Amino acid sequence: MKLHIIISSILLTLFVLSFSSFAQKPLSGLEVIQNVYNRPEGKDQDGTLTMTLINSRGDQRVREIKQFIKDFGTEEKKIMFFISPADVRNTSFMNWSYDAEGRDDDQWIYLPALKKVKRISSDSKSDYFMGSDFTYDDLGDRHPSDDTHKLLGEETFNGEACYVVESIPKEEDYMYSRTITWIIKDKWIGLKKEFYDENDELLKILTVEKYGKINDYWIITHSKMHNVQKEHTTDMLLENLTIDAGMSDDKFTERMMKRGI
Amino acid sequence: MLNFLQNLLRFPKTLLAVTLLISAIFFFVMKENTRMETDLDDYMPQEHPAFVYSNQAEERFHIQDGVIIAIENKDGIYNSGTLQKVKDLTKELQKMDEIDKDDVTSLYTADNIIGTETGLDVKPFYKRVPESKEKLEALRKSVRDNEMIYERLVNNNETVTVVIAEIKDDVFSQEFYHRLLDLAKTYEGPEKLYVAGRPIVEGTMAYLGPRDMQRMVPIVIAVIVIVLLMVQRSIKAGIFTLLVVLFSVVWTFGLMAAVNIPIYAVSTMIPVMLIAIGVADGIHLYSHLHIFMRENPQADKRTAAFDMLREMWKPVVMTSVTTAVGFISLLTSEVYPIKYFGLFTAFGVMAAMVFSLLLIPAGTLVFGPPRWKIKNKSGEQHENSFLNAIASLVVRHKYITLFATIIIVAFSIWGTTKVWINSSFLDKFEADSDIVITDTFINENFGGTSTLNVILDSEQEDAFKQPQILEAIDRLQTKVDRSLQVVGNSFSLTDYLKRMNKVMHADSAKYNVIPGTKDLVAQYLLLYEISGDPENLWKVVDYHYQKANLTFQLKSDNSIALNSAIAKIEETLPELQTLGVNVNYAGSGYKGLVFTDLILEGQIKSLALSLLIVVILLSLMFKNVSAGLIGAVPITITAAISFGIMGLLNIPLSTTTALLSSIAIGIGIDYAVHFIERYKIYAAETNDKRLTGGMTMQHSGRAIAFNAIVVIAGFLVLLASVFPPNRALGALVSMNMFTSFTGTVTIMYLLLVSSNIYFKKNK
Repeated sequence: MKLHIIISSILLTLFVLSFSSFAQKPLSGLEVIQNVYNRPEGKDQDGTLTMTLINSRGDQRVREIKQFIKDFGTEEKKIMFFISPADVRNTSFMNWSYDAEGRDDDQWIYLPALKKVKRISSDSKSDYFMGSDFTYDDLGDRHPSDDTHKLLGEETFNGEACYVVESIPKEEDYMYSRTITWIIKDKWIGLKKEFYDENDELLKILTVEKYGKINDYWIITHSKMHNVQKEHTTDMLLENLTIDAGMSDDKFTERMMKRGI
Repeated sequence: MLNFLQNLLRFPKTLLAVTLLISAIFFFVMKENTRMETDLDDYMPQEHPAFVYSNQAEERFHIQDGVIIAIENKDGIYNSGTLQKVKDLTKELQKMDEIDKDDVTSLYTADNIIGTETGLDVKPFYKRVPESKEKLEALRKSVRDNEMIYERLVNNNETVTVVIAEIKDDVFSQEFYHRLLDLAKTYEGPEKLYVAGRPIVEGTMAYLGPRDMQRMVPIVIAVIVIVLLMVQRSIKAGIFTLLVVLFSVVWTFGLMAAVNIPIYAVSTMIPVMLIAIGVADGIHLYSHLHIFMRENPQADKRTAAFDMLREMWKPVVMTSVTTAVGFISLLTSEVYPIKYFGLFTAFGVMAAMVFSLLLIPAGTLVFGPPRWKIKNKSGEQHENSFLNAIASLVVRHKYITLFATIIIVAFSIWGTTKVWINSSFLDKFEADSDIVITDTFINENFGGTSTLNVILDSEQEDAFKQPQILEAIDRLQTKVDRSLQVVGNSFSLTDYLKRMNKVMHADSAKYNVIPGTKDLVAQYLLLYEISGDPENLWKVVDYHYQKANLTFQLKSDNSIALNSAIAKIEETLPELQTLGVNVNYAGSGYKGLVFTDLILEGQIKSLALSLLIVVILLSLMFKNVSAGLIGAVPITITAAISFGIMGLLNIPLSTTTALLSSIAIGIGIDYAVHFIERYKIYAAETNDKRLTGGMTMQHSGRAIAFNAIVVIAGFLVLLASVFPPNRALGALVSMNMFTSFTGTVTIMYLLLVSSNIYFKKNK
């Protein structure tokens, strides 16, 4: 038996033991959210993102994007290439986000018609992402320590046993007064999330339409965000996912942005 | 009919009691259920294509009327105190229930699209209020450099900045307006605050007009009572004449409340009409009674009452039916409040007829006829001789009369061509009222308080990403902006694109143009969505780039301003059409314009129609086509002079003044019918033209004169009103009464005499 196998076996045993002892007493809200935040999703991921924006009159805009994401430990890099509509084909967008507290994302955009890469500054995590109903925070960047969490109880939702957790932001002027999340117990996937605005009125509902196991990771592949106040919906569909294919580090450069898909 | 009336009058006391009871019930219903409708959108025919289109566009592009709060600091706005106020005021407005958070635009919330060393940034002008000199200076510079903001949110000498709050639909109330004023007041010193905008003007007007009426109407009635008493020389006659009017008004409004039809602004004209028309019946009845009593001093009250009824029921019914039919012709209008106005005024006129024929005889039966001092002959002699003098003068100088009439009518028709329609709300206020002063102040410093939305449409998807089309729109904006003084500025998708193009090219003015290719346009727009607030984009274009909203700011909301802008826009129509772009208009100002046109069109249609109906009815009633035509003369003259004077004196037509032509019909018929009917009776009695003329003048002529004097005196009171449209109303009603009267006793009398209709047998 090789040493590292022994070590990992011991660690595994310890983990299982500690988990079972944890299971005795109920998890706290914070722990549930941490488990969601830390749910492994692989080191890298590429796929096609189809983003459909639907306004209150039912008009639709569809954008097809090829995206690459890689986790670099303390930072996450993401590059997106627009496939359609045709007039923005090969426009690319790159985002580097950092774990370090207080550090803003770095963002670049490449406009092929201008043949220039431009920096754009992201002012806030609560900005909406590309005109969708998702903010950068909603897309999963929000750190659990930014909110205080409270386990409201357990509920069966869509046939899954779920924890229901209420999260209240510590920041005073944050765009949401609170959120409520339904989290599948054994998978740490948020199935549904309600967002309440500053006046504590329901603002948005996020629903997960589809998730599945890819390379042993639980991945959400289809979700919908419905802004109930503006009657606006964003549908995000991830397809052709490849995970942990060993993406090259220099995928995430200005040169690559210009090169296109 | 007469028998039926006489049968009813066998129980005069019961009759009075029942009428009083029903009136009390109606009064109660009216008090409990009446509701005012002040939302002007509800006045407009929603199915009319222009409104359907505009409403759709308003919904699509989130076009709402905004309240504009201007903050003036004579020492300049770039100091932390004033900027703090902008921020606080913005936040307070955002919290109001009547305002959506995203619908408040100010220096604090506006997006600043700027170019940086490396790229592009869309961010607020400030979040934390700048304190240091350098930061304040930097803010001043960034505003100056941004042509999307400079002179739109900050004026060019940097002493005024505006906060614009779009108001949700149907929430504007006086209470809200006062809350806004109070809020603004708390920010005064050293800054001065001004509150303006269409919702304010509209809301205040909807409130001020009726309130002013409420204050004036009792005085009008009091004056009418006094003058009635003076001309009728009897308290009984005065009271009963007035009761007829009051009951008809109460029944009309009671019925409206009972069938749940709200009171619109034009409904306030119903009592005006009923007063002007309703007193006529009473005056004519009592006038007849008076003559009868003078000739038969010994007659008992029963004989007197029944003689009055027998002799007068016909003209009273004839006048009322024709007048009612005239009002019913307003049903042809496309505007619901006017349809209701026509219908209910017609009801009121019929009610007044019934009351005149029942209450006045019943009153005479119960309380006895008025005790006129018959000896007082000198005064009457005086009046009569005056009227007789007119009669003989007219006949003697018939060519002069004819000629003068033709001149006056021709002159009026010429004046009519000068009549213009004004859909302006602002023009209804005094030049020195707060509302006008505030509006002028903002118009002097900014683009304008009124807006015209031009909606561009294309069949083709992505049309508004095509540089060719965008350039055409940009040219249109420049052309209209530059050539018209009244147009302050314009705003559309092109402004975003030019700004983006410029900042992406290191702020070079050379690039302040529409990007050259469709791909670049699309990519800029995507970039804007990624870095800015795309919500703003959907106020100028739709998802498919097939519809675009181009907004012009105007310094006046009157029809001339709107029409001049529209005319300029239409000049570029051929160019846009060859590019496959259609042009339509939207917004409350435009709707007001269309609406006023509709009212005028409907009014002219119904005037023509009712004139025709009147001629036919009168011809049937008098069994003589000439009589029918002659009877229509006072109406025609009154209407022509009414419109003519408006044209000559530059009084614009508006919803209320347009309705005044209805008075011409109501009054004109009354005068004509009573006069012709009497003339016919006396002609048959005496077979002498001169005598007939004199007697008719003494009977009907006298009553007509009384009627005119009473109503003119009453409505002249409105000249003291604080609300200009009500003043115009008072003047025009008085004038209409006067011309109707003059027309009847001069030209119509002359035509009657000359036509020989009732003396045919003699010849």
